[in-house]
Order: sequence, then C-alpha cells, then structure tokens
Amino acid sequence: MVTLQLVGSLRKELADSLSTCRVLVVGAGGIGCELLKNVVLTGFKNIEVIDLDIIDVSNLNRQFLFQKKHVGKSKAQVAKETVLQFCPTANITAYHDSIMNPDYNVEFFRNFMLVMNALDNRVARNHVNRMCLAADIPLIESGTAGYLGQVTVIKKGLTECYECQPKPTQKTFPGCTIRNTPSEPIHCIVWAKYLFNQLFGEEDADQEVSPDTADPESCVLWDGDIKRVSTKDWARSTGYDPVKLFNKLFKDDIQYLLTMDKLWKKRKAPLPLDWLEHQKLTCPQGVTGTGLKDQQVLGVAGYCQLFSRSVETLHFMLVDKGDGAELVWDKDDPPAMDFVTAAANLRMYIFSMNMKSRFDIKSMAGNIIPAIATTNAVIAGLIVLEALKILSGDVKQCRTIFLNKQPNPRKKLLVPCALDPPSANCYVCASKPEVTVKLNVHKTLVLALQDKILKEKFGMVAPDVQIEDGKGTILISSEEGETEANNCKFLSDFAIRNGSRLQVDDFLQDYTLLVNVIHCENLEKDVEFEVVGDAPDKAPTRSQEEGKNVANGNKDSSEPSTSSEGEQNWHFLIYNCNLAKIKQSSLTPTTTVTNGINKHTQCVQIREVRQ
Amino acid sequence: MIEKEESIISEEEAAQYDRQIRLWGLDAQKRLRGSRVLLVGLRGLGAEVAKNLILAGVKGLTLLDHEQVTEESCRAQFLIPVTAQGQNRAQASLERAQYLNPMVEVKADTDRVETKPDKFFLQFEAVCLTGCSRDLMVRVDQLCAQHNIKVFCGDVFGYHGYMFSDLGQEHNYVEEKPKVVKPKTDESNDGPEAKKPKVDPNETTMIKKTASFCSLKVALEVDWTNEKAKSSLKRTPVDYFLLHELLLWFPALLHHSSCGSHSLCVPRFSPTVLLKFRTDKGRDPHPESFEADATLLRQIRDDVLEAMGLSSELLPHDFVSYCFSEMAPVCAVVGGVLGQEVVKALSQRDAPHKNFFFFDGMKGSGVVDYFGPK
Repeated sequence: MVTLQLVGSLRKELADSLSTCRVLVVGAGGIGCELLKNVVLTGFKNIEVIDLDIIDVSNLNRQFLFQKKHVGKSKAQVAKETVLQFCPTANITAYHDSIMNPDYNVEFFRNFMLVMNALDNRVARNHVNRMCLAADIPLIESGTAGYLGQVTVIKKGLTECYECQPKPTQKTFPGCTIRNTPSEPIHCIVWAKYLFNQLFGEEDADQEVSPDTADPESCVLWDGDIKRVSTKDWARSTGYDPVKLFNKLFKDDIQYLLTMDKLWKKRKAPLPLDWLEHQKLTCPQGVTGTGLKDQQVLGVAGYCQLFSRSVETLHFMLVDKGDGAELVWDKDDPPAMDFVTAAANLRMYIFSMNMKSRFDIKSMAGNIIPAIATTNAVIAGLIVLEALKILSGDVKQCRTIFLNKQPNPRKKLLVPCALDPPSANCYVCASKPEVTVKLNVHKTLVLALQDKILKEKFGMVAPDVQIEDGKGTILISSEEGETEANNCKFLSDFAIRNGSRLQVDDFLQDYTLLVNVIHCENLEKDVEFEVVGDAPDKAPTRSQEEGKNVANGNKDSSEPSTSSEGEQNWHFLIYNCNLAKIKQSSLTPTTTVTNGINKHTQCVQIREVRQ
Repeated sequence: MIEKEESIISEEEAAQYDRQIRLWGLDAQKRLRGSRVLLVGLRGLGAEVAKNLILAGVKGLTLLDHEQVTEESCRAQFLIPVTAQGQNRAQASLERAQYLNPMVEVKADTDRVETKPDKFFLQFEAVCLTGCSRDLMVRVDQLCAQHNIKVFCGDVFGYHGYMFSDLGQEHNYVEEKPKVVKPKTDESNDGPEAKKPKVDPNETTMIKKTASFCSLKVALEVDWTNEKAKSSLKRTPVDYFLLHELLLWFPALLHHSSCGSHSLCVPRFSPTVLLKFRTDKGRDPHPESFEADATLLRQIRDDVLEAMGLSSELLPHDFVSYCFSEMAPVCAVVGGVLGQEVVKALSQRDAPHKNFFFFDGMKGSGVVDYFGPK
C-alpha cells in the first residue's frame, strides 16, 4: 500500500515547498484581499504584497481586510496587518508602491517562485507580464468585473503571454463627435470632462471643447479668422463668471454649430439654452422617496444651478491653490463630479437626449466597474489552486478558467479551458519581437513616438531608441534630460523615412523591440499612427470550448464547440478595469476606461477611451 | 417576512455598498438589508459564507456552532484568532465577523443544531447548513420549506465541494434585461441619430420569473434503476461521481447491512462513503489518524461498491486523499458561489442555480446540475 503522508489535504512534498517558497501578490484590492487570505490559509509562508493605492470607503463592500477606521491608509500595509492577526507566523512584506517602479527589476522578480496578479488595469498587467517573462517566473493572471471573472497562467515558452492576443484597442471618439455632433450620453460626458480640464485642469490640445470648424462634414472653408484664445484664458478674462461661461458654452457655441447647417441635414439640430430663460423656471423639488439622492434626475433648471455652483466652487479651489495651479478631475471630489454632471446633462438636453442622474454619470465618467465580494472570492480561490499545480510541477494541468454568471449549455458555471501556446509573432514574447508602424515621418514628433507609441501602445516604461542607420544614432534615451532636445523634432529630422528601423530597448523590462517604420501620408483623421497587423477595434472572441487538450475524462470531447452568438458562450478576458486611483504618487494616469460593461449579459466588453 | 419599514438607505450605506448597488440595484440591496440568516457551521466553508453575507449587508447573521476551536481550525479559518483555542467556534468567530461590517447584527449561538426546536428556525429568511449530517439537513429543509424559508446546504471535502438549494415551490425573482429602444419619429430619446432600434445598455426592463425547487429529500430519491438513468450512469466517468454525487447517498446506506433492497437508488460513491464514515465514526476523516482512517475509508468503499455489484476500481485508490479536511481555496470557491446564491434568493434577483453546484478543485470545473422530479 502506498503510504501517503498528508498535511491537511496536501501531500507532504507540496506542503513543504509551500512553506519555503516566496510568492509575490501584485495588488491588495478586491482580488488581492481574498488572495492573501487564501494564500496564507493554504500554507504559504513567505509572501510579498504590493499596492500603490490607499483605502476608500467604497472598497469596504468587498476588500474585507479593511475596516472603516483604515480609510486613507495603505492597502498593502493594512492587508498585511490584518492577515497577521489570523496567521501571526506568516512572513509578509508589504510595499506601498507601484510595481512599475524601477526598483522592482528583473532581479527582484527572480526571488519569487511565482507571481500572482490582482490588478485592475492593463498598463500594470503588461508590465508585470514582461517582468515575469524576463525573469522566467510563472505568472497567474486574473480579473473580475461584476459577476464575471477569469484566471489564467502565463509561463514563458509554454503558454501565451498576456500580450500575445491583441486586446480591444482604445475606443476614441472622433473630435468632431465630441465637439460638434454628440449622439450618445457618453459623448456629452467626455465633453464635460474635457471642459473641466480646459477650465480648471491641464489643458490638452486633444481635449478641445469648442466647435470644430475643421469637421469634414461641415464644409466650412473659412472660419472668419476667429482669434483662437485658450478656453482657460477666456474664462479667466471673465473671472470665471458662471453666467458668461454658461452662455458661451450652451448658447453661443451652439448657435455657431447651427450655422454649420450641413451637419443638421440628417440630424436633429441642437437647441441653444439661455440662462435667463431657465432662471425663471423653478427647480422641481424631487420627491426623494426611498431612492438614492444621487439617482434622481433633476430638470434643466436644476442643472443650470448645479453648473453655476460648481463653477464657483472649483474656481475658488483653483484660486486657493495659487498661481499656475491646476485641478485634477476626481470622481470622488464632489464639486468636480457636480460640474461634469451638470455640464454633461445640459449638453444632453441641448442635443435632445434624456438626461442622466449623477449616479449614472459617475459610473460613466468615473469608469466605475461594479464589484462584489463573492466573484473575487471565487477567482482568488481558483488562483491558489492553479498556484498549487505550478508548485507541484504540474504546469501542464494549469488552465484558463472562466467564471460565468449562469451555467453554459453544458451546465458549467466554471469553465476550464486549455492554455494556448505562445503566439509565434507576439511582439512581446517572440524570440526577436518585431513590429511595423505606419506613420507620417514629417508630422510625428519624437515625443509622440516615445509617449504615444512606445509607452502607451507598446507598454514600455522607459524606452531607449537607437536608429539602425549604421551610426547607431540615439533618438531617445531613458536617462532624464539626455535627449530632451529631440522631443520637439520630427522623425524626419533624423533621416527616418520609409523603411527605417528602430531598435527599442526597455532595460527594466529586459525587452527589445524592433520597429519598422512605414511612411504614410494619408492616415485616417485623428489617427496618428497605425500598427500593421492590428485590426481596428479587434476584439478577441474566445469560445469556451474545452479544447482538445483538456483531459476532462469525457470520452465524447469531440462534441462541437458551444460557441455561438449566444450570450452565454463567449467571454472576454477581463483585463482592464479602471486605472487604480492614484492618491499619492508622482505617476499620472494615462488611460481611462469607459464603462462598457453590459451587466445584463454574460459577456463583458471593455473598451478604453483615451481622454 | 422582509421588514418594510426601513426602506431608506442611509448615506453611510450608500457609500459603502456603492459598488454592489451599481451591480444589483437598490431594491435588491434593500431586500438584503431586511433579511436575517442562520449559518450553521463555522469551519472553513462557514467562515467564507459568513464573510460574504456580512459584506453583502444582510440585516442579521446568526453563527451557530457547538464545536470547540482546535489547533487545526485556527489555521483553517480567518475569523478565529490564534489565541482562541478551547473556545466555542461561533463565539470565537464573532468579533472578527462583526468587524467585517458593523451595520449587520452578527450573533453567536453555541448550541447543537440538532437540539434546536422547530420554531428556532422560523425567525430567519434563509438558513445555510454547512458540515451537517444528512438527517439534519433533510429535517431542517422540510421544516423551512413549509414556512417559505430558503434553505442552502454545502460542504467541502479536500479538493471537492458542493452546494444545494431549496428555494421552495414558488420562488419569484426578477431578471434585468436591456430594453430594446424602438425608434420614434419625433421623440428620439437617446440622441438625434436614434433611427434604428438600439439596445441601450443603460435602459433596462425587469422581467418577472418563477422557479420551483424540490426538497432535499426528494432530490436524494432519484431513481437510477430505470434504463435512462442507468445509461447516463454508464456514460459518466468516475470523476463525475466524485464530483457530482457528494450528497447523493440514499436511505439504504444507513441500512448498509441489508443490501438487498430493490427500491434503492444507485448510490454514489465517495460522498456516500464519506457520509457513512461520518455516521459511523461521528466525525470526519482526520489527517492525524490518516492511516487508520484511510484504511476504513477504503473498506467502506469496497463494501459499498460491492453491494452495488461494481468494481472497487471505480473509485481510485488515492480518492482518500481527497477526503481529508477542507482546503482554503476550495472553501473560497464554494463559499463564493453559495454566498451569491443566498444573496440572489434574498434579493429575489437573477436566476438561481437549480439545484446543486459541484466543484472539482483538481480540474477547476464547476457544474450546476438538477436532481429531482422532472
């Protein structure tokens, strides 16, 4: 008889390696709290956890290691303290920091037997993916949104890496839609956020709010040489007078749009608002009844008032901060949220859309993903089970597991699927990654190459770029200040042209990418570059068939895939939720996500909106 | 039933429950807030369910467990402090449970659940039984069903776990579906370009539905002697039994010696075996007495399978390793699914799983299956 020694439910060898190995948990939020609890109760002894965020009251419905008294404190730190209370022998190191800090280099990652992600944004996931590839450490990736969740395992050379499959690209609304012809509430909300930045925050050329005369639909050839004054300067010149702002934004500018009559041939024309007229109307005293105050929809007059009040408050805050100050929009900052609610609703009214409550606007403007404890609990349980397989040397038993809201036609609520092998031409994990980028060499700035292409699109943190011109000319150096002079020059200034090749290194990520440049003069409007091979807005549709490799013991695995257009059979990898709210750090959020979740179906589509 | 007086959500609740109100809506949250739940058993699975229900914001949760904290259970459960050895499990879990959400009334009860009179259960809207014997579960389920109290059962054995629910013969709930917006010529409500019918994800409609559940007793009395059942039996692999049949033992197993009964359902194996073990020994298999317990388990397996005329190879030799103690991650998965089912039932929102959920932690598969009258 085989003698099987057990520690709890685990074989002794496995139990032993649990107590000696080191693991890293990236994130101490929804998944992170559940994960830390599971990791510790399962018997892991040496754990490091990192999270840059601090605790907010809205976390308390699921991040159970935190209590109300901890609001404002570091998540990683409090998580560690709470866990130690029920497992004092655990050896936990907590970092209140960003995992993208260069301190956490490949050597740091090599200390761990495995890494478990508990993140909520793609940027960090891309980065950890690369670090784990560079260090050749297994990574367990996961995500949740509402009732849905997913876990998968990434092992260099064996499985797909996080970036092997193209993810849905950012959905940016064209400038003219935001500025001239909004047709959905989200357009108005984006406009309102742009307006906030133009008036109180960092002005961005990509966030114009005034009518766009260059709209191809408008056929305006000459705008009468209107002198362009920045919105902020103009507002300052009026002393941020709410009535003047109101009349410009919601009357004058709308009247201007009306002169571009081609726009309104097939669309309902907008109706300008007049401040004085709406002053006459009394604000309807909404019967709160038993609903949430925020879920009420006020009338136009109500939003006029709200606009005026919030402009005054924000102006005051701006003045208070001193010269050259800027405010950063934050959904949890009441006047900032009030402002967007009011401005967006007024614009919706003008463009004949049903106005929305503050509650709904906050969801959309703040990219809030609804979240509950149980989904995170299930996913975190699955993460540890995958971890045990890895530790036992059973990586081949690892799976991608999807959590559905309802069972699929094969009765499965939790659906394990075989892991896919690496993609041969993945621009991250292929042996010599290479991409081709189409852009206009005469119009693309070196800075744009660095920020929009290398960092945003290709996920690098600190790129170094050399031109393969036989001279090894350095175009961009990750050392601060070294190549700053190049930033405002165009690529063509460095003799970069059609067919040029750039060698891009990110030494932190131990990642080298060869970029082939194709010069193109006629890219689409608002498009600065195109990656060849990227289908526009391509969203992966992964069917939930069990795959040929899953040994589920069922001999009739030749059953056809259950994927169809039916809601319950497909599921996107949940890989991006709202970027973690950054309360104290020098990092700036780069990407935000619209709430594209349709919580009423099984499938989750997450689209990014760059704002 | 659910108290209607407090239909106003406070600012504090709105702030704390914001992320879940955005998912299941305010009405659902109010219903949760009016519900009292009884949770029996505070081992690993019980602790997970307690956490999930407390965080969800029920009105009250009573933790019922007569057992004492052992050294081992300190490691297995995150609500019990390490200093609590010798204390009652429910009592020891109380403080940490309450900290999870001060807005919920959490109580501890140290009595043996078997000694509770019928009327004890009637104060709750839902009852959740973990780690309980079959007889108790059947009795409580029968009693609660009469009074429209929702009943849930669950257990975890090593890498495996299950849950069962009985929401009564007529469980009413709503499903929120996106509203298809029909275009109106003048009154375009979502924008000047709403010319074709659009599914607006923000506009929804509530559809009322009803689901009917059978009792646990009936669920266990599935007749497998008919041809259809037998053929499905052949098609299903051993793992199915291990996974799916954790509760489907049948009355005859208690009359294990009289294996000639014809009216019996085909027994399931591992769970059958485990529950027989529990009945015989009065406890679960324990790692400390692994060798002896393993031997006994295999003996029971042989007896049971032999009584069936089935080969003892149907249950693999190492099945014993699946029978010992609860695994934290498995408790988390089963506790998560079970917790969410309780939330759904109390809030009367979204289709409940009917009526069993089986989880296989080795494979990562979780299946919802129905056992009961067609």
